[in-house]
Amino acid sequence: MPKTIVCDGNEAAAWGVSRAKPDMVAVYPITPQSSLAEYVSQFVADGIIDADLMDVEGEHSVLSVLQGACLAGARTFTATCGQGLAFMFEPYFRTPPLRLPIVMSIVTRDGITPQCVWGGQQDAMTVREVGWIQMYCETVQEVLDTVILAYRVAEHRDVMLPVNVCHDGNYLSYGVEKVELPDQEDVDRFMGEKNTNWHVALDPERPMGVDPLTGGATGNGPALFVRYRKGSCKAMQNALQVICDVHREWGEQFGRHYAPLVEEYRLDGADFALVTIGSMTGAAKDAVDAAREQGVKVGLIKIKTFRPFPLEAMIQALSKVKAVGVVDRSVSFGWNSGPVYQETLSALYHLKERIPAVSFIGGLAGADITETHLQRVIDVTASLLQGHMPAQPIWLNEND
Amino acid sequence: MGRSYHTIAFDAQKCNGCQECEKACAQAKAGVTDLVHSRIKVSPGRKEGEWGLALCRQCAQPLCVMNCPGGALSKDPVSGVVSWDESRCVGCKLCTLACAYAGITFNQATGQVMKCDFCGGDPACVKSCERGALQHLTGSDIYNEWGDLEDLFVPGISACLGCNSELLVRHTLRRVGPNTVVATPPGCIAGVGAVGVNGLTATKTPVFHPLLTNTASMLAGARRYYNRIGRDVTMLAFAGDGGAADVGFQSLSGAAERGEQIIFICVDNEGYMNTGVQRSSTTPYGAWTSTTPVGSVLRGKTRDAKPLPIIMLMHNCEYVATASTAYMEDYYQKLEKAILAAKKGMAYVHVFSPCPTGWRLPPARLIEAGRKAVQCNLMPLWEYESATGDMRFTHPVDNPLPVTDYLSMIGKYRHLSAEQTQHIQEHADRQVDLLRKFMQQRMDLAV
Repeated sequence: MPKTIVCDGNEAAAWGVSRAKPDMVAVYPITPQSSLAEYVSQFVADGIIDADLMDVEGEHSVLSVLQGACLAGARTFTATCGQGLAFMFEPYFRTPPLRLPIVMSIVTRDGITPQCVWGGQQDAMTVREVGWIQMYCETVQEVLDTVILAYRVAEHRDVMLPVNVCHDGNYLSYGVEKVELPDQEDVDRFMGEKNTNWHVALDPERPMGVDPLTGGATGNGPALFVRYRKGSCKAMQNALQVICDVHREWGEQFGRHYAPLVEEYRLDGADFALVTIGSMTGAAKDAVDAAREQGVKVGLIKIKTFRPFPLEAMIQALSKVKAVGVVDRSVSFGWNSGPVYQETLSALYHLKERIPAVSFIGGLAGADITETHLQRVIDVTASLLQGHMPAQPIWLNEND
Repeated sequence: MGRSYHTIAFDAQKCNGCQECEKACAQAKAGVTDLVHSRIKVSPGRKEGEWGLALCRQCAQPLCVMNCPGGALSKDPVSGVVSWDESRCVGCKLCTLACAYAGITFNQATGQVMKCDFCGGDPACVKSCERGALQHLTGSDIYNEWGDLEDLFVPGISACLGCNSELLVRHTLRRVGPNTVVATPPGCIAGVGAVGVNGLTATKTPVFHPLLTNTASMLAGARRYYNRIGRDVTMLAFAGDGGAADVGFQSLSGAAERGEQIIFICVDNEGYMNTGVQRSSTTPYGAWTSTTPVGSVLRGKTRDAKPLPIIMLMHNCEYVATASTAYMEDYYQKLEKAILAAKKGMAYVHVFSPCPTGWRLPPARLIEAGRKAVQCNLMPLWEYESATGDMRFTHPVDNPLPVTDYLSMIGKYRHLSAEQTQHIQEHADRQVDLLRKFMQQRMDLAV
């Protein structure tokens, strides 16, 4: 029988890790990820997780030891955020093209400067173009489940890519919910065989040169390099189907169904929609419900999988409305808007008809995105239908 | 593969014709000082003050043996010594005619031929030569013990002419063997194609490019996993000084602190040679590099090298040693210890590797420069074993040559002022003094 426990998102992630049975976990603390590292360490100490605990000297080495272990055949896990992710960037950048199926939680945090230790998605959004799969969670239960799911995606033969399971710092990391902890035997059945290094290995029984110099302007260099890049891009696209399949399988086995790529919430009969990502979605759904009761025809589009970008699913959802308001929890400095907004615009290009969109930025550095903020999002977006176009972006917490 | 044997080497430039070797030989073989019994002969050379040596070479294909009608001469396949059996000798002296080196001669006093028998492996002549003109060379053990091991590095490496790194990698891989994962971060060894280029690799073991920064971490992760599944796979790093002392230092230090089971070999050529000779933290004081240039204002590097071997010593690794490609037998002995130590924790070996390209040093003089550096105490050879707490010089230099003997060979020092040279001399003295104190301290602790 699955157990019901009450825990925060960091502990839920650690329980997810325990059920996925990694061979190695590497830890280095950083707020708001620290308690996740602590839970994982304690689980190893208590024998709940049977893994090597690599208590290394920094995030750079966290990912580096996991790369070495993965190349030797290990299933691996770690977590980080913010500056830790920034410090880790050098090996992080290299993990996807090495095609290592490492799973790493990003307990999302805003970026310094100004110095801050609170939630925001600036860290994860900044690395969106590196080649990791990124899935954003809405609830504590989804954190637990997605950590397990992530291994099935990462280790799928047609994918072989690392996965970030992103959960919002503060809101999900410390937010407590009742969650269901699936039985180990059930998860074992779901997980199947470990599949980490059939394709690239550091193993004397299968000696190979891993990552030789590749490229240049002569010989087979240019073609070879393109082959690697095309392979990575193809694997990303393959992941879209795999993510759907794995979520469906999970739902069938455990009874919890998540929209794998994009969730459509109350889009039927909606004139316009909000686009959200992560934990803000809960408050946004409440705001949508309240507005609906007032007769406002608003729906919601939640992005769960941001990388690979779920283009077809987004086109399908966006084509049902006449305007969108996109709420970002981070900033695209170069565009003077939010990154999710920019990606949404790219998807809108594929619609037959052009519809207006507006960028909102809120919840930076731990600030709340409340129902009141979201009511404003609804009001402003509704005004687009009357031909208004406000100055952008709209900073939701500017006057808090 | 054939065998190689110990030999007695003669340095004519050091010989002054004192004949002490002849006396020692006569004493050892006949119990008298009469030089007629000496099997080694020093004789005047072509020019005044020059000396030549007549001594058995213990030839691989000895003509004396082939020409002996009585079968009195034979070559021992293990020791390599050509021995003479009195009971079978017919006294024909054909052997003395066959030998081109006057290595077997007729003894007027005994009426028999005589030749060097190597004194059972500890030649008296060598011990008697105070000037060091005679040397008992035992380096051939390398060939005999490791010569048959598979060469795991392919031929045709694109290293600079004369580079010692290839020598080091080839020998190390032979000894460490195929059950090894090799890491070579960006640098010369990776640059010569050790990991490979566009699908081709140069190493027959698993080999990879770590980042310049994470060599020790990646190896640590792989090793831990192999431990977990019960496989004893050797983890071997060849990192340059940048990948060890500079940007790679954090991961190295962390792995050492955690006692990761790695053989970490730092190939120290004192700078970023692969990228065009920029300074690193192990570039010595005064040295020219492309980022410590010499001009009217700047005169090379203004700081001393970071003493990475000592820093690793303070990490209490299982084994720490310095080594030099100019002393390969010393290196082999250390490699043996490093392999054993890495079963328990980190073995750190810091190899001084002169660079022909970056040091402005003729390729033919690389080994000579490596020797001089040791003889000047600029690159002292020592080792530390955690298991015993023993720390010692493996090649003690009690009367070091002045550092100028070394500096004057090398182009990157050609601009040095007298003050800069003095700084380098004082630094060398202080460094050796510090090592002596460490050794003394550890002995005190042992008491």
